[in-house]
Amino acid sequence: MVSDPRVAIARRDLASLSREKTIVLALLIQLFVAAFSSFLVVGLTSLYDPGASAQGEVDIGVTGEANESLLRAIEDTEGAEAVQYRSNATAFEGFQNGAVDAVMIATRQPDSRISVQATAPEGSIRTTLVVVQLREVLQTLERQQRDIRAAFLDDPPVPLPGEVSASPYFGFTYTILLPLLLFLPPFISGSVAVDAITEEIERGTLDLLRVAPVDLVDIVDGKAAAMAVLAPVQALMWIVLLSFNGITVSNVPLLLVTVGAMAAIVVVVGVTLGLVMGERKSAQLLYSIGVLALFASAVFLPEHPATTVAKLAVDSATTTTYVLVVVYVAVAVGLYGLARRYTRGLDVESL
Amino acid sequence: MNPRKLLRIARWEVTKNAGGVDRRTIVVGALALLAVGIATPYAATSGVAVDSGIYRVGITNESAYYDVVREDPTFAVRDPQADLGEEIELRIDRLAIDAAPTPKAAAAQTELRSSVRAYNNRQMRQESNQSAAFPVRVSLGYTERTQVREVISTGDGQDQTADDEGTGDGTDGGDGDGSGGGDEGGTGTDDGSGTDGNGNDGTAGGGGGENIDDVAGGTGGVGGIAGQLAGGNTSGTPADISPPFPFQSLVLAFLFVLPLNFIIQAYGSTMVSERLNRRGELLLVAPVSRFDIIGGKTLPYLTGAIGIAAVIAAALELPAVDPVSVGISVLAVTPIALLFLGATFLGAMFARSFKELTFVTVTVTVSLTTYAFVPAIFTDVGAVALISPLTIVVRNLQGQAIGLGEFAFSLVPPLLTAGVFFGLGAGIYREEDMFTQRSIPLKALDALAARVHGKWSVAAVTAILLPFVFVTELVGVAALFAIPDALSIPTMLVVVVVVEEFAKSLHVYAGYAHDRFEAGLWPAVVVGAFSGIGFFLGEKIMLLAQLVGLPSEVVEGLIATGTATGVPSIPIAIGFLLAPLALHVVTAAISAVGASRNRRAYLAAVVVAMAIHFAYNYTVVSIGGF
Repeated sequence: MVSDPRVAIARRDLASLSREKTIVLALLIQLFVAAFSSFLVVGLTSLYDPGASAQGEVDIGVTGEANESLLRAIEDTEGAEAVQYRSNATAFEGFQNGAVDAVMIATRQPDSRISVQATAPEGSIRTTLVVVQLREVLQTLERQQRDIRAAFLDDPPVPLPGEVSASPYFGFTYTILLPLLLFLPPFISGSVAVDAITEEIERGTLDLLRVAPVDLVDIVDGKAAAMAVLAPVQALMWIVLLSFNGITVSNVPLLLVTVGAMAAIVVVVGVTLGLVMGERKSAQLLYSIGVLALFASAVFLPEHPATTVAKLAVDSATTTTYVLVVVYVAVAVGLYGLARRYTRGLDVESL
Repeated sequence: MNPRKLLRIARWEVTKNAGGVDRRTIVVGALALLAVGIATPYAATSGVAVDSGIYRVGITNESAYYDVVREDPTFAVRDPQADLGEEIELRIDRLAIDAAPTPKAAAAQTELRSSVRAYNNRQMRQESNQSAAFPVRVSLGYTERTQVREVISTGDGQDQTADDEGTGDGTDGGDGDGSGGGDEGGTGTDDGSGTDGNGNDGTAGGGGGENIDDVAGGTGGVGGIAGQLAGGNTSGTPADISPPFPFQSLVLAFLFVLPLNFIIQAYGSTMVSERLNRRGELLLVAPVSRFDIIGGKTLPYLTGAIGIAAVIAAALELPAVDPVSVGISVLAVTPIALLFLGATFLGAMFARSFKELTFVTVTVTVSLTTYAFVPAIFTDVGAVALISPLTIVVRNLQGQAIGLGEFAFSLVPPLLTAGVFFGLGAGIYREEDMFTQRSIPLKALDALAARVHGKWSVAAVTAILLPFVFVTELVGVAALFAIPDALSIPTMLVVVVVVEEFAKSLHVYAGYAHDRFEAGLWPAVVVGAFSGIGFFLGEKIMLLAQLVGLPSEVVEGLIATGTATGVPSIPIAIGFLLAPLALHVVTAAISAVGASRNRRAYLAAVVVAMAIHFAYNYTVVSIGGF
């Protein structure tokens, strides 16, 4: 049985990657990106979400003639505690010696509005949390006051649904983290595909490969395939890792197909750029700008690829989503066909 | 370094370098950038959201929530008869909300809550009676807490009797709340002389009902950020309040970092292509020093980076370009650019193939962008943010003044680190390392050994490595920002100890590996002692430099990261000058003795030195009461 030369070349490229152990570096980078973005979100959320951190309760000093309404609003707000002061001076004293985190002075205005002067501590890590809680309280106050004034409104406001405890990271996980993890491998794969081609050309080792009984098309095919296959494998690894952490990802096969199609598209772009440019510098430069342009211009699609991935993973896919997956596969196959024709017509001596 | 030769090499790099960027590349690249330029405003205006349609809601037309759900792109409207949990997350029938028992449904409910709020605010803006639609006006001010009681009465002018316009108007509300409010108004005026105090009379100013749309619009955010930082306040409806998060400035600051990633792509390629097929040999044998070559080849890219930064800085201030402000931004971006280039250069010297360089470039991009970007998020929170020069850009964009001390604190460490990168890279910019496939650890030793010639140079290298140590430790501290104190102090100490001990001994080991020192126990102790002294002196110089004009918070952090030399609770002054010196000399000597034998002995000795160092630091920190 004669083994396919393309498989041999793909295997050779993958072996060189594992020998250099650089693929480990690539995985580490992705892990770092994932860990860091999660850390960042968890950290930032704990800055403003009272439920996310232990010292969530915010004590608010309340004074002013309209403090009754304000006290009622604070009572209705989770994570906020009111401390009533008889005068502004004592309230600010409490603020300064740390008895309360913020001061709110409620006064009535001639146009029947309630005016609230809120004071938050400056330059403290808790400032964000305090301000978010103040806003929460004030929005409750606003809603209560609107309800009272409903008779003067043409349309009463829509009632606010009750608060439920939900993970503040849910949206982030599916719409940012997962697309990031799934699109990073194709991006790196394409970049490495550029290297795989230009290195052979610049080192002059493409001639050696040509001496072997293989076609240029086979060489390019093998190199492209090696890189394109890597991306879905990494994607699968991330999905498995996520599910270990209790994040269920739906439509895994379709996600892998999407990632595979994306990887095929960028790898074909990278390989073609490598062949056209013949040297790493311009090819890499154009590749990174080009992929950025591709990703940015994807906003003109009915659904951005990141949204497609998110919707598939969170199991909210629509017909548009499925159609787009098919389109990506079709584009990948079409681009591959074009690249193959270009490669076939290429004069090897000119490289 | 000869400037004329350097400039000539720079000219070659631009004009006829083997990997010079040709016209075709520029055209195609410009077209691609144009596509990005077209797509970005479109994405910004049409509001492309990655989370569009992730929650499915079954809802009838009659429901009060129908418009809310329809107008929020996060929700997809489905048939209310659909299977709850399988096909939809929420089922809304008139006002009743049915949720599936999944985390997704809970997240959908939270999202619905915030969209109802946004929807109500949008609807209320259409109302004819605006004072009933927006019954609450807010002004938010920030005051520093000094923890001192006396300051309260004098500070911020709280005693000034402000206009008490609000007092009598409680009954004008014409509703049940009015009477209750009247009572409260009474008690309020009895006690406080100045009800509206607090120094900032922003309520009336912001309260003009007709400019609600302006406040709520895009300008609200920018003005808010600038206003807060200028020490003023934000005012408007409750929804207009936003936490002091410099989001807009951060996005703008990111613009400065983005082009660097493309520049290092080209720069890395150029550097690595010198190593292919012995291309760089011609320059190496030419009568120029390797610093001329490296400098000349780097200069065009550095110039490019600075030029782009200047263009961006000027474009950001377009209506009224202030050269000083542009200069500050450019000055702050320069160390970041040098750091990117230096790290890429070192990576290109170490990389064994193009593929490896790609991975190295991505690593450089990710880690340095993180370093530049993440501390800048905390711009408003504390001085620790200044470890990234990007913080200076953000502050500059916000129109804040930047002190000389802050400048130095922010710019010098990355600058010196970039110098270390270039210095190490230059150590292996020679035939033996460039054109052969030497293993990475051996190359690392070569790079270090190139700088080591005797005991004095050992001390110098240790001192030179200090900024690197310093940056690594500070990044470590920044990363430990969110960890609870009980855990973070020991972790921080471990990071500090490991980094410092390696910094003191790695080049000593490299020197021994290259037979730069005499063998034997006593010479090893001497070399180690010199390394320790170099570290001690360097640390003292840096500490002195940082103490000039720095906020106390940072100094505290420094003392915690260093060997706690400034802890005042140790009684004898000489004691805490000499103790760290003794520590560094002893630990460095231990590792040096290990290094003089072989690799295994070296590693064992370093671990012993780390243990001693950790014990010392831990004692000092616990005495110091951290």
